[in-house]
Amino acid sequence: MNNMLIEGTTFLLGEEVNTDINCSSKYLPGKDSEFVSTVAFDKLEPGFAQGVIANGGGILVAGKNFGINSSREQAIHVLHLMKIKCILAPSFGRQFFRNAINNGLPIIECETSKIQAGETLKVDLQLGKVVSNANANEINFTPLPQEILKIIQMGGLLNFIKKHPDWNFAA
Amino acid sequence: MGHTISEKILAKRAQKDSVKAGEVVVCDIDFAMVTDTRASNTIKMMSKLDKDALQFTQNTAFVLDHYSPPPNLEAAEIHQKMRNFSAQANTHLYDIGDGICHQVLPEGGHLTSGDLIVGTDTHSVTYGAFNAFGTGIEGSDVAAVMASGKLWFRVPESVQIHLNGELQPGVWAKDITLYLLGKYKAEGLNYKAIEYIGSAVSKMDIDDRMTLCNHAAELGAKAAILEADQKTIDWLSAHGSKTPAPVYADYDAIYAFKDQLNVSTLAPQVARKHHVDDVVGTDQIDRQAIQFALIGTCTNGRLDDIRQAAHILKGKKLAKGVRMIVTPASRQIYLAALREGLIEILTSAGASFEAAGCGTCVGITNHLVPGNQETVISSANRNFKGRLSNDEADIWLGSAATVAASALTGFITDPRTVAGGSWRNI
Repeated sequence: MNNMLIEGTTFLLGEEVNTDINCSSKYLPGKDSEFVSTVAFDKLEPGFAQGVIANGGGILVAGKNFGINSSREQAIHVLHLMKIKCILAPSFGRQFFRNAINNGLPIIECETSKIQAGETLKVDLQLGKVVSNANANEINFTPLPQEILKIIQMGGLLNFIKKHPDWNFAA
Repeated sequence: MGHTISEKILAKRAQKDSVKAGEVVVCDIDFAMVTDTRASNTIKMMSKLDKDALQFTQNTAFVLDHYSPPPNLEAAEIHQKMRNFSAQANTHLYDIGDGICHQVLPEGGHLTSGDLIVGTDTHSVTYGAFNAFGTGIEGSDVAAVMASGKLWFRVPESVQIHLNGELQPGVWAKDITLYLLGKYKAEGLNYKAIEYIGSAVSKMDIDDRMTLCNHAAELGAKAAILEADQKTIDWLSAHGSKTPAPVYADYDAIYAFKDQLNVSTLAPQVARKHHVDDVVGTDQIDRQAIQFALIGTCTNGRLDDIRQAAHILKGKKLAKGVRMIVTPASRQIYLAALREGLIEILTSAGASFEAAGCGTCVGITNHLVPGNQETVISSANRNFKGRLSNDEADIWLGSAATVAASALTGFITDPRTVAGGSWRNI
């Protein structure tokens, strides 16, 4: 599969981040995703989104239960606008995990405690490997099932369905 | 090797002999639901697909429940969009005042035992009370279901929780779910499917069983499922559902873990302010004053909940300075409460009734904002800071009985200390 290799600078967030509160307009009525993408996660770390945008995007690295308690798909649209290429965390809120896949954003469950802010990481979705350029540290993870990788690779569920209305993953 | 209820439902819908945890499967969906908070996004997602491709609309319901009635123009416009789309696409529609999605779906006969149900709301796990696999999804998912009748799932690991014994009078399923939240913590059972079994479940009526499954959303569960018994079959039949196809776990099914709880000694529980998993027995609360008492939501807005409140407040008055709002979970419940005289009892005591719907559950709907430094006791499912649009107010959670008892005294109160008699035949 193509685009299964991702490289980018790391941006760190903590544990139990609620993306409805920090990365959607659920509690900012009338504001669109463009606006939210400039202030996302500000409550947790002021200037976070601006830093990511100034860098031209990056890899989001978080603690456990990222996207906890949050259902909004808009969070992924916002992360796309920030040019987040991939998210790494030990675990995710269930709906957030689904939403990332359905909207073509690579999402990886792996140990993240040793990853530093500002590192350059290479992520191999197919092989299940995260490599740091700086210290050659390697983190292994169980690769996502092929069906999920296919949905991500096609840019999300609706693109997949348009191309494969019969849900044929082998095609 | 045996299989759990979830594995069996997903396998059947995937036309497979068996599936195992971790596997990705594509399943036929029995029914899909879209609420007004996610309708704009859902309709936007559907517009990305060929409209002629929408095959599944007769098995989809649009439910106008969160903004019921609409508090502003933005909400009113979402409702107009939903009514128009529903009329064109020929979906079911539940309009304002009809009730909360998780109540109107079973009441409307849209689901039965063995079904696979999806909805754009985390509390779609409620359908497990009827031995259906119910789970929350988002707009892209619904669009895919509308186009193909199918959706992908990662088969969850199951956990089995055995609820032994029998709840004491005045103690309810909500007290069990709060206790379990204190034990496992919020999202502590993330991705998992919970199976609740045991004598305490068998003895529960359907209303309490729905609470038990509903609140599993806060545990992070993907589904929470009960076995079907005669009560389930009778309830479904009375509501015009399809013939139930009950699914049972195999004796040698594989669970991530099994746990048990003897509920016979359980006291009424409350979640303290801000954290749904900061849970203690009401006996450990020392004179915590409250100003707002809220009964309603998909967790505890059913007829049994309103009966509990009436049992406590019959012939009495709310404590001075306390305001109480009751929001029935559906029009059918509202009517039943009216016929039983419960609305007269509670209104005479000083409570107010709102139109059926999600009501006072979440501040974004503008139904209720508490004042600064005020404390709310609610029968809802979430109490994080700002849930009711005011960071300077506290929200505590308890059963409907605990809410009503607290409204009576003005302090968080064990309902058993203010009402006796037969709770089961209120």
